[in-house]
Amino acid sequence: MAKINPEFLDELKKYGGNDFSACYNCGNCTAICSLSTEDNSFPRMMVRASVVGLEEKVTSSLDPWLCYYCGDCSLYCPRGANPGELMMALRRWLTAKYDWTGLSGLLYKYLPATILAFVLTALAVIGLAIKLNFEMETIMHYGHLFEMFAILGVFMVILTPNLIRMWYLVIFKPKRNIPIAVYFKGIGELFIHMFTQKRTLGCSNSQTRWFEHLILVFGYLTLLFTTVVLDWFGTENFFIIALGYIESAVVFIVTAHFMYSRVNKDKELNKHSQPSDWLFVIWLFLMGFTAFVVRLFIDFDLLAANFWLYLLHITILVQWAVLIVPFGKWTHFLYRSFAMYFSSIIQLSQETKGK
Amino acid sequence: MKKKIGVYICHCGANIADHIDVEKVRESIASDEVVFLSRTTMFACSDSSQKDMVDDIKKQELDAIVVASCSPKLHLQTFRNVAVRGGLNKYNYVQVNIREQGSWAHSDTPAAATEKAIQLVKAGIARVIESQELTPLKIEAHNKVAIIGAGVSGLRAAVELADMGTHVDLIEREHFIGGRVSQWGQLFVSEKNGEEIVKKLYETVIDHPMITLYTGTELIARSGSVGNYNLQLKITPRFVTQECKIGAFDKAIEICPVSVDDEFNFSLNKRKAIYKNYESEFPHIAAIDMLNCTKCGKCLEVCNSINLNQEILIENITVGSILLSTGFDPYEPSENEFSYKTIDTVITLQQFKRLVELSPNKLIYRDKEIKTIGFIYCVGSLQIKGDNKYCSRYCCTSAIHTAIQIHRKYNIKSYHMNRGIRTYGKQELLYTESSKNGDVYVEFDPKKEPIISKNGKQTIIKVVDLLTAKEELDIPVDLVVLVTGMVPRKDNSIADILKVPIGRDKFFNEIHPKLRPVETVIDGVLIAGACQSPKNITESLKSSLAAASKANSLISKGEIELEPTLAVIHIAQCDWCGKCADACPFGAILKTSIDGKEVAMVNNANCKGCGMCLPVCPTDAIDLIGYTNREIESMIDALID
Repeated sequence: MAKINPEFLDELKKYGGNDFSACYNCGNCTAICSLSTEDNSFPRMMVRASVVGLEEKVTSSLDPWLCYYCGDCSLYCPRGANPGELMMALRRWLTAKYDWTGLSGLLYKYLPATILAFVLTALAVIGLAIKLNFEMETIMHYGHLFEMFAILGVFMVILTPNLIRMWYLVIFKPKRNIPIAVYFKGIGELFIHMFTQKRTLGCSNSQTRWFEHLILVFGYLTLLFTTVVLDWFGTENFFIIALGYIESAVVFIVTAHFMYSRVNKDKELNKHSQPSDWLFVIWLFLMGFTAFVVRLFIDFDLLAANFWLYLLHITILVQWAVLIVPFGKWTHFLYRSFAMYFSSIIQLSQETKGK
Repeated sequence: MKKKIGVYICHCGANIADHIDVEKVRESIASDEVVFLSRTTMFACSDSSQKDMVDDIKKQELDAIVVASCSPKLHLQTFRNVAVRGGLNKYNYVQVNIREQGSWAHSDTPAAATEKAIQLVKAGIARVIESQELTPLKIEAHNKVAIIGAGVSGLRAAVELADMGTHVDLIEREHFIGGRVSQWGQLFVSEKNGEEIVKKLYETVIDHPMITLYTGTELIARSGSVGNYNLQLKITPRFVTQECKIGAFDKAIEICPVSVDDEFNFSLNKRKAIYKNYESEFPHIAAIDMLNCTKCGKCLEVCNSINLNQEILIENITVGSILLSTGFDPYEPSENEFSYKTIDTVITLQQFKRLVELSPNKLIYRDKEIKTIGFIYCVGSLQIKGDNKYCSRYCCTSAIHTAIQIHRKYNIKSYHMNRGIRTYGKQELLYTESSKNGDVYVEFDPKKEPIISKNGKQTIIKVVDLLTAKEELDIPVDLVVLVTGMVPRKDNSIADILKVPIGRDKFFNEIHPKLRPVETVIDGVLIAGACQSPKNITESLKSSLAAASKANSLISKGEIELEPTLAVIHIAQCDWCGKCADACPFGAILKTSIDGKEVAMVNNANCKGCGMCLPVCPTDAIDLIGYTNREIESMIDALID
């Protein structure tokens, strides 16, 4: 027996799934999907659960995370129900569902709330700068400190509890009893998928996309490491400086290409951008780009004259770190890899039980 | 007695000749003294063979011909025409079937097949010897049609017939015309209103000089036959002679003390004994329901055009043909079928459509505003246990169209518990539109029907959804609408009066679904619209136009030609026992008295020449022209010779 939530369909439409109610259950989407398997088939069942209003079925499902959005399902849907975009909307909805603060859902659903949050964080940064009398050195010091504490804080306070919530909704609540040993046995999957995203390669025509995404992830993570741990903006070491340049360039060049694709809508997956998608790529681009220019100005000794540039960079960084990372699209980095992990341990435990 | 007979044996290419020795067949009958000439032919039906036969008949002065070839179903008319072209009477031709009953049936045993063919041809010759010249019967036909039922089908057929120059008596049992369509409000796919459609048709009908409209009128007896039906009509007066003055009718309704279930609204509300089903209903004059009226006389005080003393009239009319367009009744679920009548939030689609018509702003049922609705499809159709095996055709579309309408009008969300959606043709677009509105379609296994229950004030539909991996869903709704199909009219007494055959589905039955789709086996009685089978409005009107043209082509020439193959009574042998009349499926045998002797008489117009009366006659007093005892007996003699 499953209870139905009659409002679920309308709720999902706020997260960007607009056409899925046209579905007439032919199953073309599942048949065409190159990642769907006999044991774990999608996306039809997710479309169905969304249409009917089976909220719990969606909440406990990993399917949305197992889809890497090649767009074939939407391309071949005879009703224009756009299953690919529904899966995208479900990822947003699940992100909001996992988030214990509720802020994620608020930002996804209401654009004015998002704008307000971005404006407030910008004002806070500027306020702090005023309080510090626009002293460059001090601000840079605080900026560096912020980076370290923000990473730690967001992880401890937001992301870790949210991952636990994900585990609770996907594994504990549906009573999928998984032996402790299996958790260890499958842990490799978590890191493999976190750092390779190799599942994307299973999607049709996705080699380029996978490669771009891979170097973007590495560029981003190493840039983070270079700025926070190796203190890129403060160092005199030539190798570290060069490394930082390369990393930041990778970040803004790849994101620039991503933006270009979204503007041109060249592929199915680029056709339906939501504000959260735009914010993600634009802010990532700006971060890479401003970091690159800031370091450039330092090297040419122009930074003192361009204090505002640094302030812009740090504002973008703060918005990124306190809004997009904990509540926005950034989380897919974690949820996708944990979904692969959970999916594999669920399968492993079933195999064990089978024996 | 025919003495100069031509016999033709057909090869039918290889069809016959591969298994039957055609030449041997010819040889074995050639010596018969009555056989003047015998030939074999490659294809008897070919133009050149036909021409040769015509020449033979003329030159050799043959007095009868036999063709041994295929089934008479295929080429009886072909060779009858050959006979006529040669100057013979077409009944002096006999066809022998040596293909379907010979070569094809016995392809394994050619020798025996040849023997059988020889005997069959001999029997054919024996029969043609006894054959007589017959002329088709002609009977007078009144160029007037009685149309029973003034719903949209009847109205449309009336207009068409009248335009073709045929008089129409349009007979309606109710006091108001329009039938079911006037009940439905907005219609698919045109989005027109039922009332508008009825209005347009009514205005044409009422202005047409060739159409006479009878309301409150029932057919109670019939005699005669095609071309000349005598019908007895019982006309119940409406007890209101003309329109009451403005305001007076409303007052009359106000003071009428009688309150009965309003059938027009499927008992959703009550009406008075003086009533109109809706404001602009036709004819505009109100009517009094005398079955329920107490004759208290209060209405007389406010409207002086009421006359409670009007009397029932009996009128006789004569028509050439009868067109039945008596429509359907909605299926009435039995008590407890999907909790109908046991849970108060369960109603039928027809009731629901009336409810929507009567609710301009908010949809309120039993004091509760309706926000979500569960439709349950195929109630009373495609039954597994019951008799209604058929699909009612209109209900899927109607339910979905209604769901779209209520989404637009009141923003209601609908769940559709169905067994496969059949919104065929252009109607498919409605299905798409409703899905896009966010309506949810749940498919159930007919063996596991949804169960409706009530949890406190909340109605819940429990259904196993085939599209969600057989998940059992609990759907909370405010109202359950049973999508009920079509069944024949409860009171179908007209079928007894006219002897119209009833099909397995209990609707009126046509002769042939493809070749003669609007005719019944009763000559001159045609069927149109939903009295024949479930149809939507478009389909009903198409069939009514077909029936109209059929009626016109039948009677408009003033006379009707009938096959002369009829039963005849040999008066001298007949002692009237009535067995033949009992055996006749067409009511063609009547009792009459000739010179004081009670004997049987055949009504030629009704007789179909089926021969059912012959074997039951104890005194052998009946013969079938074209198949007389002499002919049949001589055939048997030839076969066993």
